[in-house]
Amino acid sequence: MSTVDTARGTAAAPAAGDPDSGPVAPSRASSPEGDATGSGAPSGASSPEGEAAGSVAGRAAGPGAGASWAGRSGLRLLGSEVRLTFRRPRNIAMLGALAVVPVVIGVVLRLVGADDDAPSLVTQVAGNGLMLTFVSMSLLTALLLPVAVGVVAGESVAGEAGAGTLRYLLTAPAGRARLLGVKAANVVVFALAACTVVAVSGLVIGLVLFPVGPVTLLSGTTVPLADGLLRLLIVTGYAAAGMAAFGIVGLALSTFTEVPIGAVAATVVTVVFSQVAGAIPQLDPVRPYLLTSWWSSFDGALRDPVATDVMGQGLLVFAAYAFVFGAIAWGRFSGRDITS
Amino acid sequence: MRWGVPVAAIAVVGAAISAGPVIAAVQGEPSLPDRTAEQLLAEAARTARDHAPPAMSGTVVETASLGLPALPLPQGASSSPLSLLSGSHTVKVWYGGEGRLRLALPGQMSETDVISDGKGTAWLWESAGNTATRLTVPGDAAAGPDPTPAPTAVTPRDFAAQALKAAEENTAVRVENGEHVAGRAAYQLVLTPKDPASLVDKVTLALDGETYVPLRVRVFAKGAAEPAFEVGFTQVSFSAPAPENFAFTPPAGATVKQQTFGGTDGPGDRAADVAGAALRILGSGWGTVAEVPLSAVSLKADGDGPAKGGDPSRLLESVLKSATPVSGPWGGGKVVKTKLLSVLVTDDGRLFAGAVTPEALVKAAGRR
Repeated sequence: MSTVDTARGTAAAPAAGDPDSGPVAPSRASSPEGDATGSGAPSGASSPEGEAAGSVAGRAAGPGAGASWAGRSGLRLLGSEVRLTFRRPRNIAMLGALAVVPVVIGVVLRLVGADDDAPSLVTQVAGNGLMLTFVSMSLLTALLLPVAVGVVAGESVAGEAGAGTLRYLLTAPAGRARLLGVKAANVVVFALAACTVVAVSGLVIGLVLFPVGPVTLLSGTTVPLADGLLRLLIVTGYAAAGMAAFGIVGLALSTFTEVPIGAVAATVVTVVFSQVAGAIPQLDPVRPYLLTSWWSSFDGALRDPVATDVMGQGLLVFAAYAFVFGAIAWGRFSGRDITS
Repeated sequence: MRWGVPVAAIAVVGAAISAGPVIAAVQGEPSLPDRTAEQLLAEAARTARDHAPPAMSGTVVETASLGLPALPLPQGASSSPLSLLSGSHTVKVWYGGEGRLRLALPGQMSETDVISDGKGTAWLWESAGNTATRLTVPGDAAAGPDPTPAPTAVTPRDFAAQALKAAEENTAVRVENGEHVAGRAAYQLVLTPKDPASLVDKVTLALDGETYVPLRVRVFAKGAAEPAFEVGFTQVSFSAPAPENFAFTPPAGATVKQQTFGGTDGPGDRAADVAGAALRILGSGWGTVAEVPLSAVSLKADGDGPAKGGDPSRLLESVLKSATPVSGPWGGGKVVKTKLLSVLVTDDGRLFAGAVTPEALVKAAGRR
């Protein structure tokens, strides 16, 4: 913790402004290029620095004091963090791309129809629009969802370091652990949002383009629509848990570098590497320990009875990954010298 | 110091992973009363005679590491029977008594189910093809082989003695107590071949300590600590499963097919007949070697076609690529040795197979 103190000592920390308003978002959102490339940091850093310092201190300290100060300021910090994430044009574009995929699948299936070789799940979409969500989810958890979450997670700490805003964040007496916790919570929120976007987009397009009725499960049993919607909720929650665990891995990688693009690339490479390892038959014994091999286990919710054992095991794996990589992130972040 | 936290986190997770089996073993019931092999068999036979198999449900995992060369199986052919030759597979089992049975083979976003209502009708549901096949067993065959192989002529004690006597000729039989399978205390019968040419080190059969239901079979190859083949419950419950597991109505939109069992017109049956006619058994016990003219084997290849993956002729071809040439007074050939099985293909078109060393096969080939 000594470095926090030095950082606090050296950096100018003007008095707090209004914590919730203006200066926070614009100051950091105004230099998204710097965040994205990392190279723009030295030139871009000079102008937002003063602004950022003030706003950051405001964000963290705020006017509140007393017993619930820690909790409230943590929430406020998270609120500001989430707002930043969802205002960044790149993140909105990624969510938009995620929303478009179910639309494209739905429209193509509507216009062309599935051919006979397609997996039955795809052909079933024509009979029941609810299936579109499951099909989209199974396609997107393979790569696009993890990439979206990986970009946000890999960027979370390294992006601030690259843009030069990290040390100002640390000037606030919020503590590094809390800052990291807020960053992690932000990644989790984004993971949940990304999965929800896919689910809602698939559901809406499915309702618009196809008839909707009782759902045929993988086990051949047919359940009422309400039950189908409930299972859809389970699927979305499970997928979000998997993506959130992966986001924590990305956050840990993000604490090791000041180049955001490096952290993002490393995070995405982790997915690809892990999926390749899962596909090699000789590495079969390793499969149960890979994060990626559990992402698609949400299909357990489409069986009768629900494969709670498999999905429970998947959730345990997610929790284990989040726990270990959260600890690694803390170990790295709490003692790292923040120079930018 | 800081890094102590992540290290501790990894240690905790590692401990949790390895603690699972330990906790399961400790939590199991106290160990069972000791039994000799004869007592155990007699007890199992008596239970099988007096009681119908108990209703149960559970998860069965089959793992095969036979040391086969990589099989040219297409991706996603996980429900093809040939895929069971390598890797690990999970099957969910529900048994409701009176022939009511459901098996579910989960795949990635797919599932294959076999559902039998115990009244002579069974359904095969394949979600990947969205097809339901109604399997009917003709009336007389529906009664089928009695599920309990009740040795009515002899008492369980006599049966056990006779079975053991027959086995003792070429097998050493012993009982291990204190095994735990799927959290249940179990007796384990260990069968060790006496034939030195056998590739099998031992075969173990775990019987549930209460119901004498077989819970696990393992086959160990010589010189390997891990079983080459294992099928057993990883989770089992002896309470009656929900009745809706045994009812099946084809979902709307599915293709429904009919198939009657017990006929002699299956392509598999024919190939088996052809192979059976030419099959010669050499030797006995664990050293048994089967001899088949190769033409009969390759005949099978045109049966199913390559559609569903695992075309037998292609399989044979790829396996033979890694074969070692051997020769004897009878000519030359190629031998493939896996952990449990040796196969010799002679140049004059005969195939020898057995769970024996290649040397034993070469010797068998000389025996005309």
